Amino acid sequence: TMSSESSKKRKPKVIRSDGAPAEGKRSRSDTEQEGKYYSEEAEVDLRDPGRDYELYKYTCQELQRLMAEIQDLKSRGGKDVAFEIEERRIQSCVHFMTLKKLNRLAHIRLKKGRDQTHEAKQKVDAYHLQLQNLLYEVMHLQKEITKCLEFKSKHEEIDLVTLEEFYTEAPPNISKAEITMGDPHQQTLARLDWELEQRKRLAEKYRECLSNKEKILKEIEVKKEYLSSLQPRLNSIMQASLPVQEYLFMPFDQAHKQYETARHLPPPLYVLFVQATAYGQACDKTLSVAIEGSVDEAKALFKPPEDSQDDESDSDAEEEQTTKRRRPTLGVQLDDKRKEMLKRHPLSVLLDLKCKDSSVLHLTFYYLMNLNIMTVKAKVTTTMELITPISAGDLLSPDSVLSCLYPGDHGKKTPNPANQYQFDKVGILSLRDYVLELGHPYLWVQKLGGLHFPKEQPQHTVMADHSQSASHMETTMKLLKTRVQSRLALHKQFASLEHGIVPVTSDCQCLFPAKVVSHLVKWVMIPHEDYMDLLFTKDIVEAGLAGDTNLYYLALIERGTAKLQAAVVLNPGYSSIPPIFRLCLNWKGEKTNSNDDNIRAMESEVNVCYKELCGPRPSYQLLTNQLQRLCVLLDVYLETESHDDSVEGPKEFPQEKMCLRLFRGPSRMKPFKYNHPQGFFSHR
Amino acid sequence: LETTLSPQAEVFEALQQLHMTVFSQSVSPCGKFLAAGNNYGQIAIFSLSAALSSEAKEESKKPMVTFHAHDGPVYSMVSTDRHLLSAGDGEVKGWLWAEILKKGCKELWRRQPPYRTSLEVPEINALLLIPKENSLILAGGDCQLHSMDLETGTFTRALRGHTDYIHCLALRERSPEVLSGGEDGAVRLWDLRTAKEVQTIEVYKHEECSRPHNGRWIGCLATDSDWMVCGGGPALTLWHLRSSTPTTVFPIRAPQKHVTFYQDLILSAGQGCYVNHWQLSGELKAQVPGSSPGLLSLSLNQQPAAPECKVLTAAGNSCRVDVFTNLGYRAFSLSF
Repeated sequence: TMSSESSKKRKPKVIRSDGAPAEGKRSRSDTEQEGKYYSEEAEVDLRDPGRDYELYKYTCQELQRLMAEIQDLKSRGGKDVAFEIEERRIQSCVHFMTLKKLNRLAHIRLKKGRDQTHEAKQKVDAYHLQLQNLLYEVMHLQKEITKCLEFKSKHEEIDLVTLEEFYTEAPPNISKAEITMGDPHQQTLARLDWELEQRKRLAEKYRECLSNKEKILKEIEVKKEYLSSLQPRLNSIMQASLPVQEYLFMPFDQAHKQYETARHLPPPLYVLFVQATAYGQACDKTLSVAIEGSVDEAKALFKPPEDSQDDESDSDAEEEQTTKRRRPTLGVQLDDKRKEMLKRHPLSVLLDLKCKDSSVLHLTFYYLMNLNIMTVKAKVTTTMELITPISAGDLLSPDSVLSCLYPGDHGKKTPNPANQYQFDKVGILSLRDYVLELGHPYLWVQKLGGLHFPKEQPQHTVMADHSQSASHMETTMKLLKTRVQSRLALHKQFASLEHGIVPVTSDCQCLFPAKVVSHLVKWVMIPHEDYMDLLFTKDIVEAGLAGDTNLYYLALIERGTAKLQAAVVLNPGYSSIPPIFRLCLNWKGEKTNSNDDNIRAMESEVNVCYKELCGPRPSYQLLTNQLQRLCVLLDVYLETESHDDSVEGPKEFPQEKMCLRLFRGPSRMKPFKYNHPQGFFSHR
Repeated sequence: LETTLSPQAEVFEALQQLHMTVFSQSVSPCGKFLAAGNNYGQIAIFSLSAALSSEAKEESKKPMVTFHAHDGPVYSMVSTDRHLLSAGDGEVKGWLWAEILKKGCKELWRRQPPYRTSLEVPEINALLLIPKENSLILAGGDCQLHSMDLETGTFTRALRGHTDYIHCLALRERSPEVLSGGEDGAVRLWDLRTAKEVQTIEVYKHEECSRPHNGRWIGCLATDSDWMVCGGGPALTLWHLRSSTPTTVFPIRAPQKHVTFYQDLILSAGQGCYVNHWQLSGELKAQVPGSSPGLLSLSLNQQPAAPECKVLTAAGNSCRVDVFTNLGYRAFSLSF
């Protein structure tokens, strides 16, 4: 219908809360405008929804009542019923129209409500959008602000001088204190100014210094040339003075020649040469120092690399041409590599030490270039030819004469720890296998050459340390001489011992009684392993006193049926380190220090009380005196043995020694101490 | 080439250790320390409590202090409740236990018995304390027993009878009597009040225990009032004193140098490295090896003040003193 169409049009409406009277006017104005419409929308505003609802309920009730009455009438039947029904029908139609109106009104109300909601929502959305925009802008601005705040100007990276320094140092026209103190911006500008100023000045200085340096370098060149032109002039003077030198017996030239050769020595040998010569001149005029070997070969070692490169390329070319030539086998290659590694410098230094008895110790010192160590070969010569007794074989042999000159310095291992890696590459196990050929790398030899391999910092090898060499020279020379002398003394003594005679010098006769019956029947050298196998030497081995650098001997002393075996450990440091004895007596059973306290006492008499037996310095008589004492001790032991009452017959050894007492103390010690000059025996 | 000790000194020290003999031992009155005397005249004091504690290290087995006590070997030592008495080269010296751990300790006093001989100073091999009289008996090289009053230091009596030097002494508390054994092969009993020899047993004359190839000397003695055990050249034998008869001969060949009663056992040691545990019946209960090839002295620490240090220590022909915490085995050794 037309009114429902008009209600669907969306007209902006002002919601008024006035009462009804406007209704008529509005509807008239509407109708005036749009041509006489009945506006139900306007009507809706004026009616009370509650009353409409009541009307609706009432109308429904009435309809129900009417229907019920109609139903009644219809069921009753009759003539006047139709009229009644008709009346009621008309009333019902009226009610239906009321309902329809109410329905329309309801719809209109609904629509109105919806429209209002929608409007409000629109407004809210608009505000919301505005808010978002503003927030977004705020955020953006904040970001910009932080960016601005974080901005670091390049000038802040420059390390400026401190404020105090600036004000004190900068000239007032730059520092402008009055302005800058108050204004930090100006201050910074001023400081930057000052910085620039300073840098300019320094750049200037730098240029000045560079030019100075150039000047000085030129001056040095000039002076060098001058000096190098001096050398040939001096040489000619030297030559001219030769006849004068000879005339005046001043062989500077000879020494000069030696120094000339020495210049080609490798540094360690050079240190040794210089220090030994100095020592010889200062302390030992009999020491002679010489250099042996080929100077040309030494010079050849320092050929410039270009030549060798040419050689290499030539040889490569050759190889390419003759590919049929066989390459050397792997074994030969390795052998060559080993030889190369163990190569000695062509020059060597010779030292000849002369001892008091005119025997000479010849030392030849070598330098192994690739291993950076020195070795030495030794030889002893005497004025008269020595006939070496069998047991004295190792005393003066080149391999062992200098062994353990200092304790523990056995010279069988390389002192340079870096060598081990080099050895591994070419399959060398130890330098020990090559010492006979190359010489021994004793530690004192390295020291004399100024070489030092510090254990805590193996990579810092010290080379050419003259002070080290000098500080060890005197002690080492003295030890070398003592060593040779003591070995020669032992050599002579061994010759006598092998003939069963214990040589006692006249100044040591007071240590022993006049009559000594027990005598030495055997004196032999035994290998180290044999000493270790003996049963009565176990405690010496366990105490670590029987290492493989010592020499070992077996002596046999006899009297009647008694046989005394003595196993001797001779330390290379003899005679400052005493020989050590262990005894085994075979007489009425086997007696050693483990089952006979007196055998133990006898060992003590020679091992612990050795100082009495040293004789006058340098104590080379110690060993022979110890042996003589053992003979005396055996005499005392046998003669003082208490007589066994159960056995028939006299004692095998009648007592001839004068003793105050036979036994003393809980261990029943025999009187082993000899008293001179009274000649009796007593207890310690 | 630089060493703390010169090589000669190192070798010399090693030789000294190898040839050292520890002759005597004595436990302190508090039970925590052990004094040991050697053939060089040195006395070393070991701390038993430190060596036995659970935190003991190698250094705990070394002496706390070692000092030079006598010019000759220290053959014998005993302790009173405050003093350590040591003797060897003819002199007996007294040391205060409380001072002994301090460096540079000096003897409190030294006394020399009136000897007959003048040519050689005789050694003192044995010391015996007589608590009831507060006196000390010394015996040794001059074949006499001397008794010294500990209060005044005067020598009260000299008992003569032995014909050769005296090795050992023992005290028979009940009577009181002193037993002495000597090189002459006799064990002699002396009554202290009358200062006379009351009984003599010439051990070597009895066939069951004599061993002529070893000699007749009596090296060790111990007594349990009615019983006496002695050994040396002759076999180790248990004697009934009143009747002077040998009741048990212990079957061991090696001459014994020390013997002692302990609970129901007899402990002996001598040539050979063993400490022998004997039943009174003569059976060998145990033979415990020590670390020295021959033993000269045994010491049982029975001081009531230190029950945790109750150990048996054995010393002899080496620089070591073996410590047996349980009699059955050697726990460890102290060393000079």
